[in-house]
Amino acid sequence: MANVSVAAEWQLLYDRYYRKPEIYQMRWKHVDLSRNKVACASFGGPIAVIRDDSKIVQLYAESALRKLRIFNSAGILLSETIWKHPGGRLIGMSWSDDQTLICIVQDGTIYRYNIHAELIEPNMSMGKECFEQNVVECVFWGNGVVCLTEGGQLFCISDFEMMKPFKLPDVPGLTEDDMLQPTCLAVREPEYTMSGTVEVLVAVGDEIFGVEEDSVQTFRVDEPSFKDSETQNDDYGNLIGPVQKMIVSPNGKFLTLFTHDGRIVVVEMETKQIAIDYSCESALPPKQMAWCGMDTVLLYWDEDLTMVGPLGDPVHYFYDEPVILIPECDGVRILTNTSLEFLQRVPDSTESIFKIGSTSPAALLYDALDHFDRRSAKADENLRLIRSSLSEAVESCIDAAGHEFDVTRQRALLRAASYGQAFCSNFQRERVQETCRTLRVLNAVRDPDIGIPLSIQQYKLLTPVVLISRLINAHHHLLALRISEYLDMNKEVVIMHWASAKITASPSTPDTHLLEILLDKLQLCRGISYAAVATHADNCGRRKLAAMLVEHEPRSTKQVPLLLSIGEEDTALVKATESGDTDLVYLVIFHIWQKRPPLEFFAMIQGRVLARDLFVAYSRCYKHEFLKDFFLSTGQIHEVAFLLWKESWDMGKNPMASKGSPLYGPRIKLIEKARNLFSQAKEHTFESKAAEEHAKLLKIQHELEASTKQAIFVDSSINDTIRTCIVLGNNRAAIKVKTEFKVSDKRWYWLKAFALATIKDWAALEKFSKEKRPPMGFRPFVEACIDADEKAEALKYIPKLSDLVERGEAYARIGMAKEAADAAAQANDGGELLERFRKTFSQNAIFDTLKMPFQGAS
Amino acid sequence: MAQIPNLENAPLNLKSIREKSQRELVNLLKDIRGTKCLVIDPKLSGSISLIIQTSLLKELGLELRHLSAEPVQTECTKVIYLVRTQLSFMKFIASHIQNDISKAIQRDYYVYFVPRRSVACEKILEQEQVHNLVTVKEFPLYMVPLDEDVISFELELSEKDCLVDGDVSSIWHVAKAIHELEFSFGVISKVRAKGKASVRVADILNRMQVEEPVNTNDVGRPEVDTLILLDREVDMVTPMCSQLTYEGLIDEFLHISNGAVEVDSSVMGAQQEGRKMKVPLNSSDKLFKETRDLNFEVVVQVLRQKAMSMKEDYTEINSTQTVSELKDFVKKLNSLPEMTRHIHLAQHLTTFTSKQSFLSQLDMEQTLVEAESYDICYEYIEEMIHKQEPLTNVLRLLVLFSVTNSGLPKKQFDYIRMELLHSYGFEHVVTLNNLEKAGLLKKQEFKSNWLTVKRTLKLIVQDTDTSRPNDISYVYSGYAPLSIRLIQQAIHSGWRPMEDILKLLPGPHLETKRSGFPSSPSVDSLHGASNGVADGRRSIVLVVFIGGVTFAEISALRYLASKEGMAYDLIIATTKIVNGATLIETFMEKLG
Repeated sequence: MANVSVAAEWQLLYDRYYRKPEIYQMRWKHVDLSRNKVACASFGGPIAVIRDDSKIVQLYAESALRKLRIFNSAGILLSETIWKHPGGRLIGMSWSDDQTLICIVQDGTIYRYNIHAELIEPNMSMGKECFEQNVVECVFWGNGVVCLTEGGQLFCISDFEMMKPFKLPDVPGLTEDDMLQPTCLAVREPEYTMSGTVEVLVAVGDEIFGVEEDSVQTFRVDEPSFKDSETQNDDYGNLIGPVQKMIVSPNGKFLTLFTHDGRIVVVEMETKQIAIDYSCESALPPKQMAWCGMDTVLLYWDEDLTMVGPLGDPVHYFYDEPVILIPECDGVRILTNTSLEFLQRVPDSTESIFKIGSTSPAALLYDALDHFDRRSAKADENLRLIRSSLSEAVESCIDAAGHEFDVTRQRALLRAASYGQAFCSNFQRERVQETCRTLRVLNAVRDPDIGIPLSIQQYKLLTPVVLISRLINAHHHLLALRISEYLDMNKEVVIMHWASAKITASPSTPDTHLLEILLDKLQLCRGISYAAVATHADNCGRRKLAAMLVEHEPRSTKQVPLLLSIGEEDTALVKATESGDTDLVYLVIFHIWQKRPPLEFFAMIQGRVLARDLFVAYSRCYKHEFLKDFFLSTGQIHEVAFLLWKESWDMGKNPMASKGSPLYGPRIKLIEKARNLFSQAKEHTFESKAAEEHAKLLKIQHELEASTKQAIFVDSSINDTIRTCIVLGNNRAAIKVKTEFKVSDKRWYWLKAFALATIKDWAALEKFSKEKRPPMGFRPFVEACIDADEKAEALKYIPKLSDLVERGEAYARIGMAKEAADAAAQANDGGELLERFRKTFSQNAIFDTLKMPFQGAS
Repeated sequence: MAQIPNLENAPLNLKSIREKSQRELVNLLKDIRGTKCLVIDPKLSGSISLIIQTSLLKELGLELRHLSAEPVQTECTKVIYLVRTQLSFMKFIASHIQNDISKAIQRDYYVYFVPRRSVACEKILEQEQVHNLVTVKEFPLYMVPLDEDVISFELELSEKDCLVDGDVSSIWHVAKAIHELEFSFGVISKVRAKGKASVRVADILNRMQVEEPVNTNDVGRPEVDTLILLDREVDMVTPMCSQLTYEGLIDEFLHISNGAVEVDSSVMGAQQEGRKMKVPLNSSDKLFKETRDLNFEVVVQVLRQKAMSMKEDYTEINSTQTVSELKDFVKKLNSLPEMTRHIHLAQHLTTFTSKQSFLSQLDMEQTLVEAESYDICYEYIEEMIHKQEPLTNVLRLLVLFSVTNSGLPKKQFDYIRMELLHSYGFEHVVTLNNLEKAGLLKKQEFKSNWLTVKRTLKLIVQDTDTSRPNDISYVYSGYAPLSIRLIQQAIHSGWRPMEDILKLLPGPHLETKRSGFPSSPSVDSLHGASNGVADGRRSIVLVVFIGGVTFAEISALRYLASKEGMAYDLIIATTKIVNGATLIETFMEKLG
């Protein structure tokens, strides 16, 4: 049976099966891992290779200059560059989480490369002390690094995105005179420590120290034998050290130690309980040590790879070429000069199907499909056997398919699943589709040309979003786009990145042609930010292309600022105006205002109505003088005049300025200046005349204030000035003002009648009424008296009203209903009037009666 | 009764809009820990009072202050300015901060702009060198529901800004607010606009739909069917006339602000003299809901009837035997406070309406609108100036004169303006200039077409029965507001049949259909076919007034919506509720 061959490749460690299928034959040639320093990124990431300058190697037909080469996991060269950095030997090299290659040289300088072997400027440094002391060892974790210097000090960068190096506290024994050398280092990642900062484990002599940002603690691991015998008197005798090599498990819970006497000890870090204690054949420390998932530890000596588990005999693998262990979350990838393998524990589902002699429902289902294909009736028999647990069997097949790297086997398992599903009424059908979809994505990225050999578990941990960003970083845009489409994700990220990369990569393509190419793709995605692409084009020095691109940006809030930054001020102003968003117009105005000399600025906005009006509105509030310049330069003289006129008023209102000094002088001057400006234009003769009279009025008012010694005239109107004169009993002055401003008789009668009524000078009022026949009858007198609520006085004049309607109304207003009715009766259209009187008089009565019953209740 | 209306019966879910604003504001304020001083610009504080109770704000540990030129007096070390984007406010804020610096007081300053950040405002803060001392955020309050069917954008200066200063910020604001509504209630498919600003709003709205599309799948079937946009400029006649509905009259004489009117407590029958009290006026008050839209004459009758029937109940109570009868009586008593409130208010109003000056003012308005005799009106206005009657009243009539007559003859124009300056002072030359720029008070250059408009649209309706109205003309006792006539037509037949008349009125007009961006067109058409009748709700027409609307106009629209054969519910949105006086006041600007 076919199943046997599958399980035949497995190895048993105690009761667990392990497998290590080959994923790739390496496509590279002449790469000898032993001659090189190699950095492999987890999650199937790229491999950086550079000749190891700490080893003496023979040069074949190659340049003496070292080359940094970056391959994908299948050994296809992605990029290369020549390494000629100063700063001494390359000490550490590792990929960060965002797939930046971090290279640290002896003097602590950090060189960063992207996946295209392009140096990311600027170069960073581990700090001055590090520079002086020389780095001797680096330990990396996901996004950080710890460096050990010759002086025994520790420096740390805890986040490559911040790139802020800091010094860790000194480890006892390292920096003192005795100058012990640490035997090994390990780090526990920040996310697993109590403090949330990184913990560095340093083995010095017999002891292990845990170093954190602000503390150093001894990390005691006792010999198991001593612990049991309860005779731990001696403080040192029962320690497990000296330790030659150590690593922390991926979940930060366990620490693996390789002791001086060739034992491998795994200890739980919190409780110090020992999980594994196994004596190796060699006391020499292994060259590499790695955790395989959470269960076992791999040790590598030349030609021998040993896997040690908590129980049972270790498994040995033999290699006749150098290997590199690449830990992943669910196993270890093993890289050799010729191949890449993935060592993992056989998943439960796979085991249940393929284990020799397995009779699990899943195995029977898988077998049933085989019979079915061969048209054997046994298929039905199998199915009947597992009827009760069919859905469980289907589930296992789906799960196992997900874990397979081999496409034929994936297909076989999925077919078994869907075969079983057909007999399963209550199974969630999306599960098969979902796994198919995931596998299609995985198979696509596992293709050697892409070279990202993710397992399904890694894929889920990495998330599709990150996978896509890695793909586009490696310039696999098409695949990234297809995957986004396939998984129904936002394509914008991919297309945007593609567009930027395309612009960078095509410096010699003519703008119009490149624009066409770009637009073709950008149109795939609604709502994409053309402005962002245009910004990139501008940064690449393609201003014209940027201008063409930004034309397509529908969002004016993005378009306008960009147009400004590429110097397209005119277009920016047009676009801002079109958008109707005044805030954008202001943005443009201030930009131009700042950059251009005033006259040029004025000319630019004068023709644009909205821009001009907004500028005026702003300046009116805040930049008066500048506004005057603007009006002058654009010939709006009357506007200047208005401004001057306003200034004269402000001057009067400012209490600081008016203290003591005869202010009216400068004020009048300003108004006269305004008058002159008004008089230059025919259409402003009215304003000119008004300004002239205003100046005259101010003069008169000032004289009045001087003669009466009362500061009550300035800034009142002509009417009010006259009124004040009358109220003060200064009839002569009133008449003077009247003649000065040619106040009509009509106005004069109203004015004087009301003024006299305010001071209740009824005698004077009567005298005034008899001066001559009032030009418009006695209405002013009647109204003035009614207004002052003097019925008796009013009665003097009401009978003199010639208009009967008016007379009736007047009576009505002082509440004389009968007289009002009489007058109305005499008038021509008296009927309507009478009706109205009746209504007004009765309405008030209604309300009074209405309110009565509720008064108590409210 | 609360000043914040409960919006239970609103045809659109306006409550959700209010709650969203409330949440946003509370979150913004909560972001800042500890005690803090909230400085609000006074007008905005009115709008905010329709969103959230002051007591709720105080619970957040806030000291409340109004923004003015005076420095803020507070012990708090955190000062939050909640302001609309007016340039003048920035000077205040800057001077406050500079004042603190000179006194070595250390404080954290936050400036929250309503509805959004403004380049120009921040520029002033920069120039005053305080920009780096403040944290700037925005509170996106684009609209405030005033009542079940009325939304205000709270832009009281919009008409003046657009017509005089050419600052069209409010137009963008209106478009943005409508777009926000679309995000909640779906893309409005039919748009009818009349007037320069309205057409521009429609244009910007389309741009916004391109820039930031409303996804039709997210919001379901659009609830609003038609959008009607109208510039106030198209009809300046109506607001200049005195409103004669109950609510309109209250606004004319007592000025309703933010859904409440402030009166002397003695007016409301309270004992303490001299104290002011606020009377909320919204549809949560059942009696007010019933009477607000009626002609005031009728309101008096209605109140009288109700009072009489209550009086009878009151006397009958002595003979009441059963508990259930008692219960009924008590139930009726519940409406007693409402009754008393409106009887007091109505009586207070009659003291104004019975005044001779008001009656002659009405006379003049009528004469002008009917275009009967300009000379009488001209003389009347002249006399008003001579008597130095309140300037707003004079200007209101003068504008009505100018608008219906398409200006004043040159000689009269100059004469009346100079008389006005003589009477009220030369500082008003700017007001006159503003009105001239806005085209509200101008020199006559061509013959007025008001007569044609009036006749064609039947604006004057003889024999209007105010108690049993059969036309919108009842709100002005015989004059049917031009604005509402236009809307009436727009709802029934669109602009097409009346293009000739539209051309006689200021500004262009536009009629378009829009659509959302459905991801699958088939789904859209399916919904359109089935849902229309299913939920039994009427489609909604959103009527937007740019430049303000009066209460009487709102009443007229409500009357239209209640008429038989009307297929739509109406929601009214406006830049601000106005009347002739408040509208004129925005144009008044003194030199000094």
